[in-house]
Amino acid sequence: MRIYLPTLIVILIVQSAAMETAIAQNSGPITVPGSRPNIQLVAPLASGQWTMPAGDYGNTRFSPLDSINTRNVQNLHVVTTTSTGIPHGHEGQPLVVNNTLYIVTPFPNNLIALDLTKPGFPQKWIFRPNPDIRSVGIACCDIVNRGASFADGKIIYNTLDAHTLAVDANTGKEIWRTAVGDIKIGETTTMAPVVVRNMVYAGISGGELGVRGRLIAMDLKSGKILWRAWNSGSDADALIGPNFKPFYAKDQGKDLGLSTWTPGQWKLGGGPVWGWISYDPELNLIYYGTGNPGVWNADMRPGDNKWSITIWARDPESGQAKWAYQVVAHDAWDYDEIMENILVDMPWQGRQRKLLLHPGRTGFMFVLDRESGEVLSAEKYEPVNWANSYNLKTGLPDENPEKRTHAGQYATHICPSSTGGKDFIPSAFSPRTGLLYIPAHNTCMDYEGTAVNYIAGTPYLGASVRMYPGPGGYQGELVAWDVAQAKKVWSVKDIDLPVYSGVLATGGDLVFYGTMEGWFRALDAHTGKVLWEFKTASGIIGDPITFSGPDGKQYVAIYSGIGGWMGATALPDVSTDDPYATLGATGAMKKIKTLTQPGDLLYVFGY
Amino acid sequence: MRLTVILAIVGVLGVASCNRSTRSAAQGSAAPIQANVGPIPGGLEGVNARLNPYATDAVALQDGRRLFDWYNCSGCHGGHAGGGMGPSLRDETWIYGNHDSQIFDSIAQGRSKGMPAWGTKIPEDQIWQLVAYIKSMRTPEEPDPPVEPADEMVGGPGPDSPVEPSPHNP
Ligand code: HEC
Repeated sequence: MRIYLPTLIVILIVQSAAMETAIAQNSGPITVPGSRPNIQLVAPLASGQWTMPAGDYGNTRFSPLDSINTRNVQNLHVVTTTSTGIPHGHEGQPLVVNNTLYIVTPFPNNLIALDLTKPGFPQKWIFRPNPDIRSVGIACCDIVNRGASFADGKIIYNTLDAHTLAVDANTGKEIWRTAVGDIKIGETTTMAPVVVRNMVYAGISGGELGVRGRLIAMDLKSGKILWRAWNSGSDADALIGPNFKPFYAKDQGKDLGLSTWTPGQWKLGGGPVWGWISYDPELNLIYYGTGNPGVWNADMRPGDNKWSITIWARDPESGQAKWAYQVVAHDAWDYDEIMENILVDMPWQGRQRKLLLHPGRTGFMFVLDRESGEVLSAEKYEPVNWANSYNLKTGLPDENPEKRTHAGQYATHICPSSTGGKDFIPSAFSPRTGLLYIPAHNTCMDYEGTAVNYIAGTPYLGASVRMYPGPGGYQGELVAWDVAQAKKVWSVKDIDLPVYSGVLATGGDLVFYGTMEGWFRALDAHTGKVLWEFKTASGIIGDPITFSGPDGKQYVAIYSGIGGWMGATALPDVSTDDPYATLGATGAMKKIKTLTQPGDLLYVFGY
Repeated sequence: MRLTVILAIVGVLGVASCNRSTRSAAQGSAAPIQANVGPIPGGLEGVNARLNPYATDAVALQDGRRLFDWYNCSGCHGGHAGGGMGPSLRDETWIYGNHDSQIFDSIAQGRSKGMPAWGTKIPEDQIWQLVAYIKSMRTPEEPDPPVEPADEMVGGPGPDSPVEPSPHNP
């Protein structure tokens, strides 16, 4: 088992392009033992190793490993801890490849390799890319990094100063470094790149600084930029051609990336790509979402503002768009929809379908047909009042006009806040339960559009926002969502703080996640019962992973280091007497300074 | 590097009589420094540093508050400078010192971790107005101080979504 899957990954990634295409396209969906009837996932799953950000192309964050399970999880204990030396938000997750564990630290984005064959997992090497320090001041939400991908003997990751790097996985020597953006106009990179065959995909952050978002494809061998797919501008810029077949009329038409903006405004159109990328080898499509449109003051940019807040399906080779679904037109809340898109094949209302699950920042849990882009379901999973529902015929939300924000006056008690029903922190799906585990929060806000000047390299914000905990007496919630029935079946609540860590589901029927106070937990995947928990040094905003060590034993790893947008209030640089600090999140996070302190640790647990 | 620092200090102190070539500085022929150099960026005791001509002038404070939004300072430092992409300017911690002239220099010259250099974009008198506003924070003179949202929603009337109690809240 441990040999078989890594071999498969190596075949998929290293072989010649033509050969790989054949294999990738033939590798149909797989059935995990013990799955609910007819649930299938994109192969291969993370099993033994963890070679890409979500562990698998389908972004399920499900590992079939089951030696740690509901019966023995109480024996889990710390095997080792490693300090990164940088007490800032530790988002994302490490990689495990060839008995080596790789950590990408927050800025300055050092890459640390640990040797899993030796007791205590000692450091093998550290690679220091020395990114431009000026990028620190233009990173919207702490100096975070969401991880790396392994392919072709290289660790591929982004540095905050808008570069993508390839580092030799054995020696820690830099192989190539490509500028994917320009910090002088506010572009940074925080997302984790993904590799499909011989191409690397990365996107830029900077939705708060008037950037023009795009996905960038690079050659895996050389780092050369092959194409860019822009999220505003002409169809040519957006790589929209004859194959583009959006499901809904609202997303059809020529040059919508120009015509849905006032002249020129699209150049500052936002729509950054800072979240997760999925890939379906069978349909041969990549999926990802885009962020908020440029300037938070919606009155300054009349129009639908395409292609902000959009889910894209694209051909991985040419970048040509297959379909697009704009989740929110003319955003007035900063509802970036860069969330994970989880690919699952399962029966939907009596018919076997290829689904894309997208727990939205909007507070709606979207189920799409990933072949066509049709929305099959959109149900609330946290308190939401900006819209009542989605019309599945038109793809449009039924908005509550009172909650649409404007310049010059506060729209109050809007739920969710800009940080969403959930933020970028990724969910996990278990085929054995049919449940999606969503790390959610219940935060609301007051929001006013304000005047703003575009000054390159500074925030193009134009909003005054203050957040606070939502109704119901809790702020965080790990939601177990029954996909087939489109409803919440159970949840574990956190009174004071959001749930802002990623989730891992395993073949041992465990669900792992962390709290912003620092508790790392294992739940029973069926019932939500807390079976085990351990208090780590700092708040958890990273994503758990699991792997098999050289000794054949299963391990679980998680970062503990508070920060990120919602956690930044815990950092010494932020004062809690300004609820408008950290783009308004501080209002909801005042208590965090009394509950946890900055940290910089990787924990590895074993049994 | 160290030589440049020495020269810079010499320059600040106005002891310009020495030969400014690096060689003579290295040979220690600069005039002896009278004032305590102190930790960097520490006190400016004995140094003829500039003071804010506006001091706590009420109109200047208002202007500074407006400019803080106008030049997008608030986008980085927080709506009322409580912090974000840039550090809090409300707190007791000053990375580069809180003397009027040090705050002026932070704004005019920029600072390493991405604080833009505004000297070419913002007229000097406006920079002083910004300094005045920054120094007024957390004092009774602070214009437009931050206010908490009127009523937080905890336990209050909520939106329509039902929220079930959690069966497994540990
Ligand atoms: C692009 C983001 C950004 C903008 C815009 C910005 N700042 Fe800053 N500022 C920073 C960062 C980051 C630092 C910390 C620099 C460092 O530590 O090297 C900083 C530092 C400072 C400091 C020094 C703080 C200390 O503790 O010593 C002051 C004063 C300051 N900024 C004022 C302003 C004013 C006034 C404006 C508007 C004219 C402004 N800033 C605009 C990011 C920004």
